[in-house]
Amino acid sequence: MSNWKLINKTYLYDGSLDGFLTIVFDCYSTKTLPQKILVKTDYTPNFLDNIVSIQTDPEKAERVFTGIEKNIGYITLNNTYYAFLCNEKDKEICLLKYLCDGFDYGPKINNRLTISYVFQVMAMKKRAFGECHRLKGLLRFQEVANNLYYASLHPDNNIIEPLAHHFINRLPTQNFIIHDKTRNICLLYNGKEYQIMDATNLKIPNISETEQKYQELWKLFFKTISISERKNPRCQMQYMPKKYWKDLIEEP
Amino acid sequence: MEILDKLKILADSAKYDASCSSSGSNRKNKNNGIGNGNISGICHSWGADGRCISLLKILFSNACMYDCKYCINRCTNPVRRATFTPQEVADLTINFYKRNYIEGLFLSSAVIKSPDYTMELLIQAVSILRNEYNFNGYIHCKTIPGCSKELIDTLGALVDRLSINIELPSNDSLKLLAPQKEKTGILEPMTYVSNGIKRNKTEKSKFKPSFVPAGQTTQLIVGATPESDLKILKLSEGLYQKLSLKRVYYSAYVSINQDKNLPTLEAPPLLRENRLYQADWLLRYYGFQADELLNENHPNFNHILDPKCDWALRNLDKFPVEINMADYFTLLRIPGIGVISAKKIIRARREFLLDFESLKKLGVVLKRAKYFITCKGKYFDKVYKFNQNFIETNLITQERNALPLPQYQQLSIFDTLQPTKEDKIKCLTGSL
Repeated sequence: MSNWKLINKTYLYDGSLDGFLTIVFDCYSTKTLPQKILVKTDYTPNFLDNIVSIQTDPEKAERVFTGIEKNIGYITLNNTYYAFLCNEKDKEICLLKYLCDGFDYGPKINNRLTISYVFQVMAMKKRAFGECHRLKGLLRFQEVANNLYYASLHPDNNIIEPLAHHFINRLPTQNFIIHDKTRNICLLYNGKEYQIMDATNLKIPNISETEQKYQELWKLFFKTISISERKNPRCQMQYMPKKYWKDLIEEP
Repeated sequence: MEILDKLKILADSAKYDASCSSSGSNRKNKNNGIGNGNISGICHSWGADGRCISLLKILFSNACMYDCKYCINRCTNPVRRATFTPQEVADLTINFYKRNYIEGLFLSSAVIKSPDYTMELLIQAVSILRNEYNFNGYIHCKTIPGCSKELIDTLGALVDRLSINIELPSNDSLKLLAPQKEKTGILEPMTYVSNGIKRNKTEKSKFKPSFVPAGQTTQLIVGATPESDLKILKLSEGLYQKLSLKRVYYSAYVSINQDKNLPTLEAPPLLRENRLYQADWLLRYYGFQADELLNENHPNFNHILDPKCDWALRNLDKFPVEINMADYFTLLRIPGIGVISAKKIIRARREFLLDFESLKKLGVVLKRAKYFITCKGKYFDKVYKFNQNFIETNLITQERNALPLPQYQQLSIFDTLQPTKEDKIKCLTGSL
């Protein structure tokens, strides 16, 4: 990648993984690196920027997607998927360099941790994956109708899709809604398939009496199970940061 | 009795069990049932004491027939008693699980009527979950000391993890504090389960029934009896090697009962518990032996330094270690370098030679490690001297901030000048 041409252009794309993989395809085939890659909706026009709007091409994206797994390995694909969900500002440039370098070096790219963009990709993956794992535990469903469960979240990273996969495996017959309040999107699952959509028109009915009863039981259990002689709020907060508390049922 | 009351009593009685992990089982969701296992375990909440809440940890009953001195549920204690029905336990678990409050069930029990009778009740509750509700989540159950082997087989086929608590780390302590329990009553079922797991592993059949897939654990109480750290650690080492236990939990003793044979502690010995856990990890993942960490002249852990630092300072002839040459287990012995850092170093040095800057980039914490390593043959800095005194002083000053402060008191000049009885009488008579 060292002999690639750095071009003074700003690429704008639609923010989807497919859109980003289209950019990877274009850059790799022309051996050029853009200055910036930004999402269309977040972009404020600036007359110094030399803008190129990238049209998402599912075919190109598909080729890159399978190409990554075939040539750089499953681990790299996994890293890319999670790092892309991270809310880091220049994730696209880091990932682009990481992938293009990866196509040259093969799976060994994941050992080159002292290169800053490789390390950054690993750190981004760790952040998104870590938050996803944490929320697998901290998410709380409430039964809002018969066999329909609702959960609201305020995650830093855009992780509701991998999170939903966990619950689909775990509770395949349970219908649920996971509502990402930071991004105002929600994921609906009906026992067969899921769909991610805008949450502006989402209306949640009141919870039932049975639901109230189980919430009371859970709060009671939560209070009772800790040993008062070992009180350690710092330790508690380290594992369960305050930003997640507003979506919990219990009151830590 | 209301279910709310029962839950309060029986969760309260179960809280002194330290174990709450949900890892080690990979049980799949079958036939559109409820739940699955997660191999790394998932914590669902953290209590005010900072311990994770991953399982619905309850006793089936706290109406115990034994009189173990350290236990809150001993029969002579005036606490409220309650007993669940198997159906109640199953319903509570399923409804908590569906709302993602918990990862599964941790069911323990006091001994009611007889060990076998208690085991049968536990089996009833668990089999409702597994067979009627088609629940595939994590279940951890206690083996009741002294129960029959057939019941262990039945329970082992249903649950993910079995445990039986040794609690007191020596035979003498057991006699003193739990006179109705016997060492053999605890070790026999433990050996039986451990053999069962080994047999199940060698069984080749694809359709073999599972038997305790997440292994067996136990718990030791720290600070209720006079055993040294060395003795406790030796016991754990034996349990890991001979009975291939998954975990030994250490529980700092909390003074709940008053008894002439029990110490009265102001606070539970949490630092000691922490040091034991650190050493326990060194045994299981770092290739250390109990004899290396402690010996007869040195039977307890250092309060200020962690066990690995302490060991390294006593074995300075093995240091400094060259980061670019050392093998995995030598890297693991460097204070401040753990499993993740060691693996990262090994991966990264295949591509480039590492120096201190690149170690920082990898995310290796040099706070302790810098005194014990060289990179490309160079020591950390010219200022740093490689001798025991220098390293020890530096490590101790670093650690001091992280440790709880000793309680200091403002001295008063009047403390030493308390009025004597004579003075008081003089005051009364008006002569002073």
